[in-house]
Amino acid sequence: MKNKNILIILFLFVVMAQLFVPSQMIYNQEDILNTGKIVKFQCEPIDPNDPFRGKYITLNFKEEGIKVKNLKEWNRNETIFAKIETAKDGFAKIKSISRTEPTDNSIYLKLKIDYIADYDYEHKIYLDFPFDRFYMNENKAKTAETVYAESTIDTTKIAYALVATKNGEAVIKDVLIDNISIKELAKAKNNSNK
Amino acid sequence: MSNSILNELPALLKANVITEETAQKIKEHYTKNGDESQSKLFMIFGILGAILSGLGIILILAHNWDDLSNYTKSILSFLPLVIGQLFCGYTILKKAENTVWRESSSVFLFFGIGASISLIAQVYNISGDLNSFLLTWMLLSLPLVYLLRTSIVSLLYLIGITYYCCNSNYFTYPKEQTYLFWLLFLGITPHYYQLLTTKSQSNFTLFHNWFVAISLMISLGSVGDGNEKILYLSYMCLFAIYYFIGKSSNFDNQKLKFNSYRIIGKLGTLILLFVYTFKSFWIFFHEKKVHENTIITSPEFIIASILTIIAAILFYKKINKTNFKDFGIIEIIFLLNILLILMGELAAIVANGIVLAIGLLEIKRGNQLNNLRILNFGLLIITILITCRFFDTDFSFIVRGILFISLGLGFFLTNYVMLKKRNRNEK
Repeated sequence: MKNKNILIILFLFVVMAQLFVPSQMIYNQEDILNTGKIVKFQCEPIDPNDPFRGKYITLNFKEEGIKVKNLKEWNRNETIFAKIETAKDGFAKIKSISRTEPTDNSIYLKLKIDYIADYDYEHKIYLDFPFDRFYMNENKAKTAETVYAESTIDTTKIAYALVATKNGEAVIKDVLIDNISIKELAKAKNNSNK
Repeated sequence: MSNSILNELPALLKANVITEETAQKIKEHYTKNGDESQSKLFMIFGILGAILSGLGIILILAHNWDDLSNYTKSILSFLPLVIGQLFCGYTILKKAENTVWRESSSVFLFFGIGASISLIAQVYNISGDLNSFLLTWMLLSLPLVYLLRTSIVSLLYLIGITYYCCNSNYFTYPKEQTYLFWLLFLGITPHYYQLLTTKSQSNFTLFHNWFVAISLMISLGSVGDGNEKILYLSYMCLFAIYYFIGKSSNFDNQKLKFNSYRIIGKLGTLILLFVYTFKSFWIFFHEKKVHENTIITSPEFIIASILTIIAAILFYKKINKTNFKDFGIIEIIFLLNILLILMGELAAIVANGIVLAIGLLEIKRGNQLNNLRILNFGLLIITILITCRFFDTDFSFIVRGILFISLGLGFFLTNYVMLKKRNRNEK
């Protein structure tokens, strides 16, 4: 009986740990969404499907690369901090990258170096943005993908992701095309097709 | 089968072929065995049911119900986890001795943990890093193996950590050198040890023997860090260790299918030996590469040395029993590693000789034991050896043709002679 009690207590600890991990994830994301600074990242053109997490659209950002003075200083897969500033057009730009975390009040992201392009015509560091997926309802994902693709090809339309950032972490709030949420656009298009 | 025998019992009793007591015993024997196979079936269906319904819940939630708020979606994401926990809690309280309950509820919870984490990642559009996801999932599942004494979760855990090891070391470039796998593996060893000592004949143990052996074999390569060539030596020692474990008293008396160590150990050694017989392999081995690190301090060299020492101790223990007389060539190959490296390209010729000797000895052993399987295994070794030699030697087609014809005839003749011998003995 004593053994059984110990077993139950241990099991309760495990249950708590198992509940804690997802709760912590939710708390972090909610915290960034609610108290983080909002920036807009402009998107570029590209129907992926994740078997476990459902349908999503893949986002490509215009601001994934940055020119630096000495490419040899940096390594692939290295974690860096990228300072973000908002340009005149209202969209976010990478201002600089560094190995140390910025202490001033600026907006920054903790990112990994995806690859380093060191060719005759291009000397740039490309960063891996952690928020490159936007999950959709499976009935709308296909339409959303088309809407998104059309908008990125059509130069008169502007697609961008609304991203909340806090302490280097980032969460996508929404993806918008000409200031209208892609969820609304996909819904409208689905309805008009019916 | 058992039913028809049970139906016959009254007639047999009537005819006085068997006594009342014997009839009772036969009845008991078949009903008991019937119960056992029934509970095995229950277990298989219980586990399958748990896996299918767990995956079903994930799929329904993966639909991504747009109209629900993030808050509601997050709460729903906990659903598979909490259901699994409730089942497991109930099992611990009320069904602690029931294997079917223990196995199926913990399998459900295992998938529940993974599902909750991925679903929350979906709600918040986290593309996530597979390594940290696998690591969290496996660490949260490991306690279940001990609290609910479940072997299926233990097997799933082994798959999970092996995949983690592959993903972080083989599939990522540049690789994240991590030794965490070995620590994770240690986590499962008490359960495996318990299985080996208390249930050495159960199917769970059989699966564990295979999973553990394959998992370690896959993961050994992950220690590579610039001197990958040395890994060949480590693998040779690992296969030797497997072989000695397979030959130890715990495993040697068991059925061959339980003895994953002996099978992998022997085949692995032979396959590596075939690689050793190529001259080009040794040229590659001794070629100096610019970016290579110092060999003596490299992790590959340290691991290879440790494995050689372990294999040597096991070898010593084994031959000590037979007063240093009875041992096969295959058991000392790991020691040849050291000699072969010093020889340079000459090593290829020595390796050819060893493979040929093993092939011939197997044929001899097959002949002595009157066992066609061993005999043909020996012939197969020699055939592969000769086929390999066609890649790096310039024999004319006529010579090759004659060699193959004589090998084919060899297969025919040896099998024919042995079958004839058998028939004569039977008469």
